[in-house]
Amino acid sequence: MLIAASNFLVPNGTFIVVLIAFIVVLGVIAKYVLPPLNKALTERQDQIRGELEAADKAKADAQEADAERRAVLDHARVQAREIVAQASTSADQIKVKAEADGQAIHDRIVQAADAEVVIARQAAVEQVTARVGEIVLAAAERVIGREIRSADHQDLIDEAIAAVRAETSGAGAGAAGGRR
Amino acid sequence: MGIGTHLLSVPLLADISVGDHVQRQVFGLTIDMDTVWATIIAGVIVILVGLIMRAKVTSGVPGKFQLLWEMAVSAVQKQVDDSIGPRGAKVVPLALTLFIFIFTCNLFEVLGIGSHFEVLPAPTSDINLPLAMALYVIVLVHAAAIKNRGIGGYVKHYLNRPFPIWLFPVNLFMNVVDEIAKPLTLALRLFGNLLAGGLMLSLLAALVIWKIGPAPLGALLTVPLTVVWKLFDMAIGAIQAFIFALLTILYFDTAMAPDLAH
Repeated sequence: MLIAASNFLVPNGTFIVVLIAFIVVLGVIAKYVLPPLNKALTERQDQIRGELEAADKAKADAQEADAERRAVLDHARVQAREIVAQASTSADQIKVKAEADGQAIHDRIVQAADAEVVIARQAAVEQVTARVGEIVLAAAERVIGREIRSADHQDLIDEAIAAVRAETSGAGAGAAGGRR
Repeated sequence: MGIGTHLLSVPLLADISVGDHVQRQVFGLTIDMDTVWATIIAGVIVILVGLIMRAKVTSGVPGKFQLLWEMAVSAVQKQVDDSIGPRGAKVVPLALTLFIFIFTCNLFEVLGIGSHFEVLPAPTSDINLPLAMALYVIVLVHAAAIKNRGIGGYVKHYLNRPFPIWLFPVNLFMNVVDEIAKPLTLALRLFGNLLAGGLMLSLLAALVIWKIGPAPLGALLTVPLTVVWKLFDMAIGAIQAFIFALLTILYFDTAMAPDLAH
């Protein structure tokens, strides 16, 4: 072994040896080192991509659920408003109907009462007129001292009764009108 | 002998020479044994580092070691994708190996002491290794060009650019010069940088003999300057490895590009 000087710009036999050495290194790296590394890189990329996609999907799902919740809530709100409006409408209707019914019953009662009053008055007048005729005859018998046959003076009696009836019915009509 | 001897011996009184190697004759060929063993050791380191990474490789959370590899692979991959495109996938292992291997070789220079004989010289500071790698790359580049254009297209490519076809003698001359310059510059750029790095170490070591009167000024300066230079030299080693790999990718890009692009 000797240390020798040679022209440093001229290649020699070393060229072949180091070329082979380099090609061996290249072969090992290309065949045994790079493929597993590239595989790991690709796998990691796929993993990350998958996770990102899953995250995107979860986000979309959450947004969808949120939108659905909102829609349901809006729907419920609208429904509630409708129900309240309906309730208020039917309450008004019931009130109006109740008022109308009350008024009708009231009117009916008043009418019935009026009719009863008229009938009672009629009966009273009938009784009174009958009684008046008898009293008048009795009084007249006592005054003139003899029996007066009612048939003979029927015209006079009827006349008196008619006068009384005219008087009372006029007053009764006036009283019925004033009570209303 | 050493070309530096005459220039430097007078001011520095030091015998600095280049091209000194431990040589042996094998089958009539001269072999620089120090370059050969340094190359083999660098190769073994690169292969070991690769195989250790391979043993631990995971698609889960990568370790720092794997991360370093992934960064290198991704950088090369991106460079190839950007310039050549998907067709350049076959260039990735070559460019990556070139970068890692050259960088490892260049780092050996940090071990240098600036002597005539380095135990572990940077093998890239011997012209043989840079030239071997450069010629290997250029042969593959031409093979890729022939595969891309066919033999006819490959020959025509030297005749019809950059000037119109009727100036084909000029075109041919320029292109041949270009093609010869490619491997030469590729090899000499790396070799020159690393050789100069080694020479710097020799010069800094020779500084030891510089005295002003009795004051050993050179001896005091040589250590800090050598440290600074070696840090700088490591950056040069990384840059040169990167440039070699990058130019390899660009040469393949030119060879694989469609004809219309040129």
